[in-house]
Amino acid sequence: MPGLKAATIAKKVVEPDVKTLERMLYYLKLTREAEQLLERVLYRQGKIVGGVYVGRGQEAIAVGSAIQLVEGDVVFPSHRDFAAWIIRGFTLRDVFLNWLGRAHGPTRGRENTNHFGDVRRGLIPVISPLGDTCPLACGTALVQKQRARGNVTLVHFGEGTTSRGDVHEAMNLAAVWTLPVIFICNNNAYAYSTPTRQQYAVKDLSARAPAYGMPGMTIDGNDVLKVYDAARQAIKRARAGKGPSFIECKTFRMTGHSAHDAAQYVPKELFEMAAKDDPLARFEKELVAMKIVDSKRLGQLEQQIAKEIDEAVAFAESSSLPEGADAVKGVYCEAGCVWQATGV
Amino acid sequence: MPVLTHLEAVRQGIWEEMERDPSVFLLGEDIGVYGGAFKVTQGMLEKFGADRVIDTPISESAIVGAAVGAALMGMRPVVEMQFMDFIACGFDQIVNMAAKMHYRWGPAVPIVIRGPSGAGVHGGPFHSQSNEMWFVHTPGLKVVVPATAYDAKGLIKASIRDDNPVIFYEHKFLYRRIKDDVPEEDYLVPIGKARIAREGTDIAVITYGAMVWTALEAAQELEKEGISVEVIDLRSLVPYDEEAVLSSVRKCSKVILLHEDTRIGGFAGELAAVISEKAFEDLDGPIFRVTAPDTPVPFSPPLEEYFLPNAQRVIDAARRLAAY
Amino acid sequence: MPTRVIMPQLGESVAEGTVIRWLKKVGDKVERDEPLFEISTDKVDAEIPSPAAGTLTKILVKENQTVEVNAVVAEINGEGPVTAGVSVPAHEAAPHPLGVPAPPRDHEPAASPAGAPLIAPAPSASAEGAGPKIRSSPLVRRIAKEKHVDLALVKGTGQGGRISKEDILKYVAGRSAAAATTGSVTPAAPPPVKGPSPIAFSRQVQVVPMTPMRKQIAEHMILSRRTSAHVTTVFEVEMTRIAETRAQYAAEFERRHGLKLTYTPFFAKAAIEAIKQFPIINASVEGDNIVYERDVNIGMAVALDTGLIVPVLRHADEKSFLGLARAVTDLAERARSKRLSVDEVQGGTFTITNPGVFGSLFGTPIINQPQVAILGVGAIEKRAVVRNDAIAIRPMVYLVLSFDHRVIDGAVADQFMAKIKASLENWSEAVQ
Repeated sequence: MPGLKAATIAKKVVEPDVKTLERMLYYLKLTREAEQLLERVLYRQGKIVGGVYVGRGQEAIAVGSAIQLVEGDVVFPSHRDFAAWIIRGFTLRDVFLNWLGRAHGPTRGRENTNHFGDVRRGLIPVISPLGDTCPLACGTALVQKQRARGNVTLVHFGEGTTSRGDVHEAMNLAAVWTLPVIFICNNNAYAYSTPTRQQYAVKDLSARAPAYGMPGMTIDGNDVLKVYDAARQAIKRARAGKGPSFIECKTFRMTGHSAHDAAQYVPKELFEMAAKDDPLARFEKELVAMKIVDSKRLGQLEQQIAKEIDEAVAFAESSSLPEGADAVKGVYCEAGCVWQATGV
Repeated sequence: MPVLTHLEAVRQGIWEEMERDPSVFLLGEDIGVYGGAFKVTQGMLEKFGADRVIDTPISESAIVGAAVGAALMGMRPVVEMQFMDFIACGFDQIVNMAAKMHYRWGPAVPIVIRGPSGAGVHGGPFHSQSNEMWFVHTPGLKVVVPATAYDAKGLIKASIRDDNPVIFYEHKFLYRRIKDDVPEEDYLVPIGKARIAREGTDIAVITYGAMVWTALEAAQELEKEGISVEVIDLRSLVPYDEEAVLSSVRKCSKVILLHEDTRIGGFAGELAAVISEKAFEDLDGPIFRVTAPDTPVPFSPPLEEYFLPNAQRVIDAARRLAAY
Repeated sequence: MPTRVIMPQLGESVAEGTVIRWLKKVGDKVERDEPLFEISTDKVDAEIPSPAAGTLTKILVKENQTVEVNAVVAEINGEGPVTAGVSVPAHEAAPHPLGVPAPPRDHEPAASPAGAPLIAPAPSASAEGAGPKIRSSPLVRRIAKEKHVDLALVKGTGQGGRISKEDILKYVAGRSAAAATTGSVTPAAPPPVKGPSPIAFSRQVQVVPMTPMRKQIAEHMILSRRTSAHVTTVFEVEMTRIAETRAQYAAEFERRHGLKLTYTPFFAKAAIEAIKQFPIINASVEGDNIVYERDVNIGMAVALDTGLIVPVLRHADEKSFLGLARAVTDLAERARSKRLSVDEVQGGTFTITNPGVFGSLFGTPIINQPQVAILGVGAIEKRAVVRNDAIAIRPMVYLVLSFDHRVIDGAVADQFMAKIKASLENWSEAVQ
């Protein structure tokens, strides 16, 4: 899909401002590099065990939306939304400590991948039964509404997840209660090996939104500015107390379902097409065209990112694994507990 | 001191917590305008307002999930399941979301899921179940099962103040049938402590919920035959008062484990294992169980009567055990 | 129809008996009333006469095997009643109260003479390991271990004859009470040992299981020590007059009555007279009460090869000297030949023991519960004593009284003993 012409951008751009654009570039590139390391290096070296799920090719969705959150807002990112963690204040060290199952990571080794969060930072992770977070998003939005400070909740999920009952119950509930929650659907064309035509019977998932009583839109999910714009509208609506919205971001899963999946069920041509539509490449090109960055700046950015990642990985690798006996601790919250490693 | 029914005691407990703590609020089907299917929340909408007594669509999963989300924001939601049978519709949210969250990444999930359970009212398979073991078996949840009106109030208050997800079972058969002196003031009954419902020396009957009353009825009869029965009311299953159980077993040397729940995977199996492991040398006879059979709860009165453990079955078991 | 020979019940509360020795073997002819086998029970050892004449065709219970009362132990073919005794359960070989064969309580006595090394498996202290199970429960077995109870001795009233908690607790309580009420240390004679009991060699030790009698004695001694406030007082008595009297009348006595005139009836008589003056010596303690016994039943301890037995001389205060002498001799003889009846080992109110018979100067005997005093008679020896400020040689004896200071104070005890001393030293009674 063609990117917006520079002129168009210039006309429409009040926001994001340059700083935001640069930040978005940073987060996009950071995500790409970090996930590359997770999926294609550390996992293959046996340093990461279990499952590895990355969002290659879908980075724009998290970046364009989460970057607009303020304090008191809540985001429920999916496993394809790496950037959300960094945007909300977690460090690369937090991320790698958790992926490597370390004792001093944000879950003390109890959870894998990005299954960690922090209520104070307004980030709540998924559980593996995807879709379960949608009702939670209604809960956080309910409280935000009652507190009337204009805060909103974003909840991310894939197109496959929309087949789960919880998503429907939550959409209904959000509309009935007029909750400030934005349902962001990452439609990356495949749910594991299931293509969309075997997942749902409508053309666009956003068609469901009015059926529940909320506006919906389908956008180019590989255009971070488009994502930004759609999210901005939905957030504005929600902050004004006008209730929920549904944004379907069309994109493509540029990898297997997980690191162990070669995705041979995906026709090669689709991968080739997707590569040409890479959200990072598109955005870089646009920013260069807008003269916000040049190739030198890009190079510096890449170096900086590489250094940050290397440092975080080295830190995590040298960090200790948990003691076995820790497994049986902290099942219950007693006497005003709340443990959370805030990261280092 | 006022005499309250089991139901009124629950209501009073919730009411007091709502007054005491503005972060406590209620969600459920028909709990607001209608006051709840069993009228447990009657009057609360008028008193506390629509923000705190919320009538929900029929979406058990979403209701529980929303409660979890709200809890993460610092609230203390109390979710009503119209019948605890319907808790299965929200099962995933309870066992995968609520139960594990603190263990996984740290936050407290102070929600209470409460509702009427149990048989004896001709409710049929979906309005009569005792499904507590689904949640006893899920680490991270607490499971509370009061038998008296006094305990119902003290325990609902304790459950609401607990920082963990608590599944709170109110036995519908007891709702209006049992009454108790219930103090008007603020008091708590600790979760995890059993109660000696009746002292005895020959046989310990360990039970909970409506079966406590069945056990007491049987004990009274058995007293006439010279069999002195001690009845232990567990009051909660997770955590449960292991020391009280073992102490009673050591005292009486013979034990009957009684519950209305079905047999396989029922709490009696867990207790039997613990007793045999930790009080083996205090046993003067095998560990007996009196439970419902492994079937869904049937509707027609003769079938339901056959299904439910009753005083006569407890008496028969006690006689056999006493003669061993 | 063969005659079934059963294990008799010797004593009301006895539930079982052990066959100690078969006096006949299979195939032997046996006369009616002829001694057929010897048994040991909680209360007494006894010879059992054959209920019928005929041939001993079956022996169903081996020596040292314990069976319940009324169990069939043998069969005799020939004339005579079909069954001997009341209702006979149709037990086959090795019947057991609890429906399973009894484990042998001790192993069979070895034929080898004492001292010969025997390789045998270490006998188990309790019944469990030694053979088929006695039904009980984990609780019962724990109590058995704690209270040193041989479950083979406990009657089970639970289902299928299981020993229940009630049963064992009753047994334990009854054991203390039985020891208390019978007034005997233990009436059970030990099995006649042809050789040493089976032994297990392990390092430098020899492990020998206690006989039933030994166990009873052990339990009673500890119980007595725990119950009474034992104090012992010692008196020295000059036996000159008794010796003279004895010398004077011994021959005549023997000729007339066919009895040897021993010292024992003298001591007994002196004690009885003193008891009349100090009835507290003949009492017992029940809770906070002192129970004065009207009867004076003197237990006379008799040493047997493997233990102690205390036959009781009932109504001793009603007997003349001759009567006492007769009774004492008779009891001792029958004690040694295991022909005492149950009544003869129960109901004592005072005990006389004679450590002197083996040379002890004096002992500090343990009170025979539930009595409150026991008189010990030391060896009678000639000693140098001071008489009228000069040394004289006199036959002397130490008499000791162990008494229960809960109810008897030293002054009373000493006065009692002084009376005995006076009686003996100033003997003037007729000896006919």
